[in-house]
Amino acid sequence: MINKSKPIVSISDFVMKFGTTTVIDSLSFEIQKGETFGLLGSNGSGKTTIIRALLGIYSPTSGSLLVGDKPFSVDGAIKLGYLPEERGLYKKEKVIDAMVYFGQLKGMQKSEARQWSLDYLERVELGDKAKTSIDKLSGGQQQKVQLGVTVMNNPDLLILDEPTKGFDPVNRRLLMDIIEEHQRKGTTVIFVSHHMEEVERLCDRVILLKDGNKAAYGSIEAIRKEYDNKTLDELFIEIYGHKESDV
Amino acid sequence: MYNLSTVIKFEIMRTIKRKSFWIVVASFPIILALVATVIFFSNKSTGQAIQDVQNESFSIGYTDKSNLIDSDLTDKLSAKPISDKASGVSQVQSGSLDAYIYYPSSISSQQVEVYGQDVGIFKNSRYNAVATTLLTESVSSTVDDDIKQVLGGNVDFDSTTYRNGEVSDAIKELIAPGIFLVLFYFLIAVFANQMLNSTIEEKENRVIEMLLTTIEARTLIIGKIISLVLLGFIQGTLILLPGLIGYFALGSQLSLPSIDLSSIPLDPERILIGFIIFSISFIMFTGLLVAIGAAVPTAKEAGQFFGIVMTFIFGPLYAAPLFISAPDSPVVQTLTYFPLTAPIPLMLRNAVGNLSLMEAIIGTVILLITTAVIIRMAVRIFQFGALEYSRKLSLKEIFGRKA
Repeated sequence: MINKSKPIVSISDFVMKFGTTTVIDSLSFEIQKGETFGLLGSNGSGKTTIIRALLGIYSPTSGSLLVGDKPFSVDGAIKLGYLPEERGLYKKEKVIDAMVYFGQLKGMQKSEARQWSLDYLERVELGDKAKTSIDKLSGGQQQKVQLGVTVMNNPDLLILDEPTKGFDPVNRRLLMDIIEEHQRKGTTVIFVSHHMEEVERLCDRVILLKDGNKAAYGSIEAIRKEYDNKTLDELFIEIYGHKESDV
Repeated sequence: MYNLSTVIKFEIMRTIKRKSFWIVVASFPIILALVATVIFFSNKSTGQAIQDVQNESFSIGYTDKSNLIDSDLTDKLSAKPISDKASGVSQVQSGSLDAYIYYPSSISSQQVEVYGQDVGIFKNSRYNAVATTLLTESVSSTVDDDIKQVLGGNVDFDSTTYRNGEVSDAIKELIAPGIFLVLFYFLIAVFANQMLNSTIEEKENRVIEMLLTTIEARTLIIGKIISLVLLGFIQGTLILLPGLIGYFALGSQLSLPSIDLSSIPLDPERILIGFIIFSISFIMFTGLLVAIGAAVPTAKEAGQFFGIVMTFIFGPLYAAPLFISAPDSPVVQTLTYFPLTAPIPLMLRNAVGNLSLMEAIIGTVILLITTAVIIRMAVRIFQFGALEYSRKLSLKEIFGRKA
């Protein structure tokens, strides 16, 4: 369900400097509505910086970053689901209270947010933990709650920054199922990951970042063709070298 | 300000659900009762100890060059006259006498000299006590009761003052507007730490990034400030209410001193000014503590700045006598108009009635502007410091970045 006529994210001539260090250097790309887009790069290549600047957490040094046709705002027309790399929840709160709070902040009615949360917790086998405080959950259980908070408002744009970090194989499968569900609904997904098999499985197009600019950009098929049909894993190692790569 | 009420409700409910909130509510009366008990028994013990010392007998020698000492009194104390000072002092030094008192020829121009065996810091005071008692009792016996009262400073006065032809009582008048100053200190003492930690918790829990993409930083910060102010009032009420109910329900059975509330003058203008200054000041310091919490990565680092803020709140108290006696002095004027020290002189001077309407208006405007700037600053700090999990923001970063 990719709508090529309407980019949901447009980034043009984006420059980001921290002091004298240029992290992103005149970067431009678009993400189409309904596609799953992979944002790839070695550690420190600027993936998270792009996401944070796109969502207004960082002010860009120059350039334009648009969600829809304007800079992102929390009360804009496009509903966002964002799972940041640095993640956490109110640890002393009960699971259900934290989920309902975020649901309300995302525009849901309290009762609607509560019911959605209870259904989700049942689905991810945490039905009996609704009234448990978050700091009593294991790391994997907290990740599930965090994922629920991310997708609970049925977002138009789902941004997942290293979503599988800290997930065991079972939870990773659950995450993949949820992402695929949202793909089927037509949600645009931005997927930041080091796991190339997941990127190949989920993404329509990718951008590979190196030294603050794009090393490759386009559909996975086209990029592989350009690089002698190498797998994304091989391609990643070729672009970044063994030392830089943390795959 | 979409979602403001959601933030306020969430912040209030999660604080009220915490055990620490109720521990503070419950512990306050317990601490007060404990302090009162300790003071009561301490006073009782001290009084008893003084009585014991006074009753304790010890050998005394004296030389009276002033001719003021009544020999009947010295006989009662079995104090023996000694002809010269050197002999008296040497008897004390040799241990054959516990104390020796030398009354010089002129009490007004020379010192009474007291020598005694060192029996500890507390008991040593008995020598001066005996020397003083001997002198005052000897002199008192030579004058009539009226002069005795005057010399003893025990004259009762009943004064009546008038303002605009009406009887006024400056002490009672300060009660109603002065309550706001007491309330301010009470709420700061109970709530300052929570104000400081309200944004640090989000930072330490790594929940900020998710919040900033769900709600505007401004809404979150203002929601937090409003909820802290409301929580202050809720906790204050919960602490004070049982005491007030207890006083009015059981006051007569417990023989507590009665307070005639109808005799407390109510000046609407001063009460209104007190309320306005109190409200803005409380919001200002709440905003300041929230801003500090947003600028530093951990509660431990916030503690360093906490002391500075407390200096602004409690420091002006050292100038309290000046606020009352010399309101026009440069020190008082400076403290009155410097935003971070202004709340205390403004509220105290308003309570004692030496704050003019113009001064109150200027002070209020200064506080309002400062509060607005601090809240704006807190929002900026929260936005820019949100992702600084391991270091505090510099002033250059706070004011230098683009919004």
